[in-house]
Amino acid sequence: MEKTVFIKDTDGGTKDRTREFYTEFINQLRERKLEDKIQVVRVADVGVYNQGVVMRLLPDNFLYGQLEMANIPALIDESVVPGKRIDHLTCHHISKQMKIVLRNCGVIDPEDIEDYIAHDGYQALAKVLTEYTPEKVIEEMKASGLRGRGGAGYPTWLKWKFTREVKSDEKYVICNGDEGDPGAYMDRSVLEGDPHTVIEGMVIAAYVVGATQGYFYIRAEYPLAVDRIQKAIAQAYDYGLLGKNILGSSFSLDVDVRLGAGAFVCGEETALLASVEGKRGYPHPRPPYPAVKGLWNHPTVINNVETLANISSIMLKGGKWFSGIGTETSKGTKVFAVTGKVKNSGLVEVPMGTTLREIVFDIGGGVLNDKKIKAVQTGGPSGGVIPEDFHNIPVGYENLQKLGSIMGSGGMIVMDETDCMVDIAKFYLRFCVDESCGKCAPCRIGGTQLLNILEKISEGTAHLDDLKKMRKISFAMQKASLCGLGQTASNPVLSTMSFFEEEYKTHVVDKKCPSRRCSRLFSYSIIQEKCVKCGACYRNCPVNAISGSRESGYKISENACIRCNRCFEVCKFNAIDRG
Amino acid sequence: MKKMTKEELQKLKEGWGKEKKNWIRVGYSSCGIAAGADEVYNTLREEISKRNINIEIKKCGCVGMCYAEPLVEVNVEGAPRVYYGKVDKDIAAKIVERHVSGKMLLNDRIYDVKVNS
Repeated sequence: MEKTVFIKDTDGGTKDRTREFYTEFINQLRERKLEDKIQVVRVADVGVYNQGVVMRLLPDNFLYGQLEMANIPALIDESVVPGKRIDHLTCHHISKQMKIVLRNCGVIDPEDIEDYIAHDGYQALAKVLTEYTPEKVIEEMKASGLRGRGGAGYPTWLKWKFTREVKSDEKYVICNGDEGDPGAYMDRSVLEGDPHTVIEGMVIAAYVVGATQGYFYIRAEYPLAVDRIQKAIAQAYDYGLLGKNILGSSFSLDVDVRLGAGAFVCGEETALLASVEGKRGYPHPRPPYPAVKGLWNHPTVINNVETLANISSIMLKGGKWFSGIGTETSKGTKVFAVTGKVKNSGLVEVPMGTTLREIVFDIGGGVLNDKKIKAVQTGGPSGGVIPEDFHNIPVGYENLQKLGSIMGSGGMIVMDETDCMVDIAKFYLRFCVDESCGKCAPCRIGGTQLLNILEKISEGTAHLDDLKKMRKISFAMQKASLCGLGQTASNPVLSTMSFFEEEYKTHVVDKKCPSRRCSRLFSYSIIQEKCVKCGACYRNCPVNAISGSRESGYKISENACIRCNRCFEVCKFNAIDRG
Repeated sequence: MKKMTKEELQKLKEGWGKEKKNWIRVGYSSCGIAAGADEVYNTLREEISKRNINIEIKKCGCVGMCYAEPLVEVNVEGAPRVYYGKVDKDIAAKIVERHVSGKMLLNDRIYDVKVNS
């Protein structure tokens, strides 16, 4: 086979024309006796969406879109055979992804250090140890503009500089792998897919600040990540990349793993420190910051997994290269875990400044079942929802903050028209209430009270005053809570209230849930005029809440109904009313 | 392995040489394993040894396309480098039979194509 043609109908919702096009293409090749030279393949995904029938030609690497059957002869005779591009059919598509953090994920064997070394692994460390002073590394980091990827976005170079400047016999570096946001799993994938790059980043950080001991704090819910990082540490010791006199230099570093004990708050750095020390994971007020008084009262640098995974590339390619990627204030790339109602859920790494629309539609393939997008939730329980109107805004720390959300660690949950915003706010708030450590009153009491009001709203017993009360409690929590968890716990509530105020009011005033999520605010009944008495609802009801027969027709008992929506889905005659 | 110096690190890197010509990679992170990568990997191994094919097969991390796990990336000389998604036991066997041995790509199973740059 000399050439390969890939075919896929990329329009969602309409009849799939892939097969038709494929058959016709092969027939035309046969007519020209080319079937032994050119291979035609139907693919499941071609990387572009909503471009009609798309064809990719290899090895020429031409991409054609909006193709019709009538184009086939021209495609074969004018493009495939002579290897020329047909301009007016060309689909201009540039991959929006850019892999720095994930460059080795899915490429190397994470349990084999030599595979990592073969892919430029530990080259940055060798360069730093032999050619760079710690000051030079900080300078490079400053030029790169890298900011913490854990959520707050504090400049990494500044953190390192402060820790370096504090005089102490002992200093520590900690890698924060306590990724707890619902729907976020970037750190897990990096630890599982490329553990050595995180170790390399940590050794460089330790060299800069003058630490002699490093800890990986990884949540116990990530057994595979823990296993791989432990194997990687053992290999690095064997190869002289950890321990005494690393790579023959005078620098030494010991590294150990500490497991998180299942509390979300332990991802907050002061609580994390307590947890590593073996104490209960309670946060404490800052200052003093960990850079001054951290682990066992010694200066400590705490960096997120993704932050550390960026270091080796910056050292090899230079800070200037890194700062060339991204926006004015947000440099480099960011990994997002795109989940929820999206076709291609998974990890994406895009340069900062990419828009939410590009992430969800161009990379994610659009909304599941071709429903209408309602919002994207970013930043986990500390973040907020971003409605569709703002999906053209370039992603960056400041831009998301302006919209009342945050970048966070990189969870991105896509929501469609069937998601109720009161329900979403309730979900995230309940998460924070469950995870609140209980040390400070604003978070402990405020969270519970907020949740009570949200429950009332979703049951239809709230008043308009309650909305005001919610704003007041949220404000108090933001101002008076001890740590980040409490300060940001009300963000999902405030954010949904500011963008979807109407939806809240519909719940409170009309006692209706437009998305049909809050089960107390609607009930199912059969519209007898439309019903053809087929019995589909009767047979499909999981709790036998529908009674009747094919002769007498059917009735739904409101008390027995669990509002699972099954009858609504199976009825082909739109005879189920959800009023 | 004894402790390395910088020079030995370089030697090791160069010693690995250029990428091997024929290989298969299986996504082996939490997402892949949860979707059944174990069975796929074992089937690929069996089929390859049954047919006596000389091809490297290795376990890798997650490439990001979690929705299409288990993922199998195949690079065989004379055919484009592609990712097969939602692979099960039967498809794994077919990948070895048709793609690896016969250099014919499978229909409806390719989720990404690696374009050589």
